Amino acid sequence: MTAMVEVKNLKKRYGDKQAVDGISFSVKKGEIFGILGPNGAGKTTTLEMIETLRPIDDGEVYIDGINVADNPNQVKYLIGVQPQAPAFQDKTKLIEVVEMFAAAYGEKVDPMAFLRDVDLEEKANSYVEDLSGGQKQRLSITTALVHGPKVFFLDEPTTGLDPQARRHLWELIEKVRSKGISVIMTTHYMDEAEVLCDRIAVMDNGKIVATDTPKNLIKQLLKRGFKKEQHVEQANLEDVFIDLTGKELRNGQ
Amino acid sequence: MKKSLFTVGVFVKINTRRFFRDKLALFFGVGFPLIFLFVFGGLNSGSSDVSFNVALINESTTPFSKEFVKQTEDSKIFKVNKDVTTLDQAKDRMTRSELDAAIILPKDFGSVKQDAKFPSGEAKIVFTQNNQQSGQALGSILDAQFKGINAKFVKNETPFTVASQQLNERSLSAFDYTFAGLLGFAIIGMGIFGPVNVFPELKKMGILRRLSTTPLKVWQYFLSTMIGQAIIGLMSLAIMFAVAIAVFHLQVVGNYFELAVFLVLGIITILGIGLALGGWAKNERQAAPLSNIVVFPMMFLSGTFFPRFLMPEWLQNVSAFLPLTPIIDGIRLIATEGKHFIDILPQLGLMGIWMVVIYFIAFRVFRWE
Repeated sequence: MTAMVEVKNLKKRYGDKQAVDGISFSVKKGEIFGILGPNGAGKTTTLEMIETLRPIDDGEVYIDGINVADNPNQVKYLIGVQPQAPAFQDKTKLIEVVEMFAAAYGEKVDPMAFLRDVDLEEKANSYVEDLSGGQKQRLSITTALVHGPKVFFLDEPTTGLDPQARRHLWELIEKVRSKGISVIMTTHYMDEAEVLCDRIAVMDNGKIVATDTPKNLIKQLLKRGFKKEQHVEQANLEDVFIDLTGKELRNGQ
Repeated sequence: MKKSLFTVGVFVKINTRRFFRDKLALFFGVGFPLIFLFVFGGLNSGSSDVSFNVALINESTTPFSKEFVKQTEDSKIFKVNKDVTTLDQAKDRMTRSELDAAIILPKDFGSVKQDAKFPSGEAKIVFTQNNQQSGQALGSILDAQFKGINAKFVKNETPFTVASQQLNERSLSAFDYTFAGLLGFAIIGMGIFGPVNVFPELKKMGILRRLSTTPLKVWQYFLSTMIGQAIIGLMSLAIMFAVAIAVFHLQVVGNYFELAVFLVLGIITILGIGLALGGWAKNERQAAPLSNIVVFPMMFLSGTFFPRFLMPEWLQNVSAFLPLTPIIDGIRLIATEGKHFIDILPQLGLMGIWMVVIYFIAFRVFRWE
């Protein structure tokens, strides 16, 4: 079976900085693929090249077998993009936001169904400026899926969210994957990557330094003789927080 | 193609709704031009009648003087300031140019002198150096009035007389020029300042960038903006017309359909400048100075606030080719002079050329982020 996303020797240069330096990876259908790395490693640039937003200097990207550089417009129908900080024009109702994004793909959809998918149906007639950060993330996710894409990109989706909203978003991302959509996401949270991602690519200085499942990466590290001070803890502080405050989303989230 | 236009339709619908929800946008789109209309309309209305601001100081108590004061106050030529009762007060106001002149009726004005059968007297007109013209004009007006009065008392032969006749043809009033200019100002306000303020904001928030990940095309985005602006603009200008007709007695003699079509063309031409500036600018710091450089010279040179015929000829020749000039001229020609499209082909042609140039640039320089 061919991969849903195939990246071959991708390169991008800004001035004298080689932002992305010949990276290759592939993502299967229905897989959650995480790209990790410190700031400036080239994660966002990589995503933007795959999303047709930046010209590709060298190398090739195929989405569902279609060359991104040659057919950017065709590719736009196959992908959904969640930006780092989702924003919407104010004085717009949620229902209208969904309607507009569907219209951008030339489609007419039932906005309520898409709002229900992300638990926003009771906010349908609110203006976007009245949403919390978590709610904006959820609205953004559903607007990225209005046209039934095959690949879904998320750039640091949970940055700035509280533990409840993060967990809720994880569930949503799992739900997206269960529809057979491939997910490519970047994150700075290792726990998030461990819980969500089927496979991870670790980037540094524009190169991929490792690609594997989170479990295998940990195993390999241990094999090399890595030892951490052993604390046998049955719980951590986040477990305490969730235990005390519950998993339910709060009002205004 | 049908799908592409469906996209445009949905964007127009939702963005137009947004406009009516946004009180600030409503104010700048509709309220702000109306304020200008009231200010400039107020300055210019009534200027077709020459009138003098005068103080009338009556020191006499005769019935004739009372009658004279009453007639003067009722006269359309004089605006009598009733707060002023002494010459000193009048002088004070005259030095500040609040009054053109003071008319003084001395104590014996209108009294019947000994041996005389009818009242007589001499009215004095006092004016300052700066107001010589109005002072002299006032003198001849009063002189003429007194001649009429004199003729009633003393039979006189008048071999030579002047008869004046008013033509029934209407000429353009100052307000007609001002109004067309104010419409031009409103069109600039919506078409240029709108996108120039909004686009950099949308770019900063990443909203345009998010749209660029969809198959939405620049022309679809532009077209939806153009249609939305045409709807909102026509409504705003219609309100201005209604106010001008109701309050400032504007007489629209042209065809309303042609007028509406012409206004839409004008709105779209000017909007192109806004789309080019706002579409190019990455942020407010780029957008603001550039739009000021483009807007202010055009605003003053195209006859927004004062008519172009007041400019020196070489400047008129240059400013005739600015994009706003044919719009303002065309509005005036259609609305107040009753011209048709066939009569204003030069204006339409110039607008057409500008439209091609402006939109060519706007499409070339547009950036989603």
